[in-house]
Amino acid sequence: MSLQSALERLATYRANNTRASQDIFRNGLLVLQKSGFKKLGDDAWISLEQLALASIDVGRLDIADQCLQLIADNFPNSPRVDCLIGIRMEATEPPETALKYYADILEADSANVAIWKRRISVLRRTGKVEKALNELVQFVDTFYTDVEGWLELADIYASCNQYDHSFQALSHVLLLTPQNPFYVLQAAETAYTSEDFPLAIKMFLTVVDMTDADDSEQLLQESTPLGITVRAWFGVKLCARRIAQNANLKSSSNTSAPKNLGLLDELAAERLRVAYSSSGQKGEIAKGRQEVFAWVATPLA
Amino acid sequence: MIEKLFLTLATLALLHAAYSTYEHLSLLKALGKPEGSLPLNIVYESILALILGLLGASLNAPPLKDITWASEMKKRTIDGMDSRLGFAHYKSRGKFLFASPHDGKI
Repeated sequence: MSLQSALERLATYRANNTRASQDIFRNGLLVLQKSGFKKLGDDAWISLEQLALASIDVGRLDIADQCLQLIADNFPNSPRVDCLIGIRMEATEPPETALKYYADILEADSANVAIWKRRISVLRRTGKVEKALNELVQFVDTFYTDVEGWLELADIYASCNQYDHSFQALSHVLLLTPQNPFYVLQAAETAYTSEDFPLAIKMFLTVVDMTDADDSEQLLQESTPLGITVRAWFGVKLCARRIAQNANLKSSSNTSAPKNLGLLDELAAERLRVAYSSSGQKGEIAKGRQEVFAWVATPLA
Repeated sequence: MIEKLFLTLATLALLHAAYSTYEHLSLLKALGKPEGSLPLNIVYESILALILGLLGASLNAPPLKDITWASEMKKRTIDGMDSRLGFAHYKSRGKFLFASPHDGKI
């Protein structure tokens, strides 16, 4: 594993916002030991921050302290460094200490986004969910365009089984990031869980439209659904089944049921068969293929 | 490999042409006729350097990426989109799972 490939992996993780702490720690430690951070120039500080957070996550607080020292020496009085110090405090000290630290900073500057988010996170982690919820609602009222805040709100509501409120929060996410099929999928699944099947099936089909639409060269018959498209087709099949079982369905969003439910069901079945029939990388059969084929073949209603 | 070769050749050719021009101009100044024309060889050398440099730079470019949102989204995962790193909990079981076994304490 060379320095160059390690740096590239770290950059990919940063771009995709993944939280693969163990891998980041491994690669980052390699870069740190070979003192590769100096080469990066400006990027060095965000990479060090990434390594610091991953080390805290993995429990190697010695490396985290080392990175934090390097960053803090270079950026005195920076709010971002304050946030990192707060996170380091959260890892070892009792939550009251961390909350007091955040409260002090927020008193001085009440619009500090990162610190406010940490405070809400600590409140949620220690079980004060209602307080966290109130603060979070205030937060998204103040900072409407913060997608993470709305997603966290949707997650808190979903964890308390209030799926309608969760869906409302997700609808704001969809307004803010209309090009993202992952959030549409999350909204579709939330709608399904709150038993609004016509809305759910519409949104699942929107996901399929968004993710499969650029196969313009091949006919639909020849393209294989991959990734979240498969999950969306599963959702379509589940919704079609539930709508067919329940003739007088009332949708809480007043969405009308799709007209050609049987055809939709057949299409979903065929797409799932294609998805699970394509040979994998070594020509092996997809896992769970038999189960999928059996389930997909059961008739509607 | 070949593109880096082209680029180095182009740079060397350009530097050589520049140096030859400087020498030629000093020669003309020494001979007392500062408006003499540049020998054609130098001109051909610089044009060659331009062509080689163009080829080298185009071949040396990083691979092209797609421009549609859909193609970018194909590379992402649900975990990446749902990570909410600003709200992440940093007090986890990682300390117990990944701490070195020789630490002696949990």
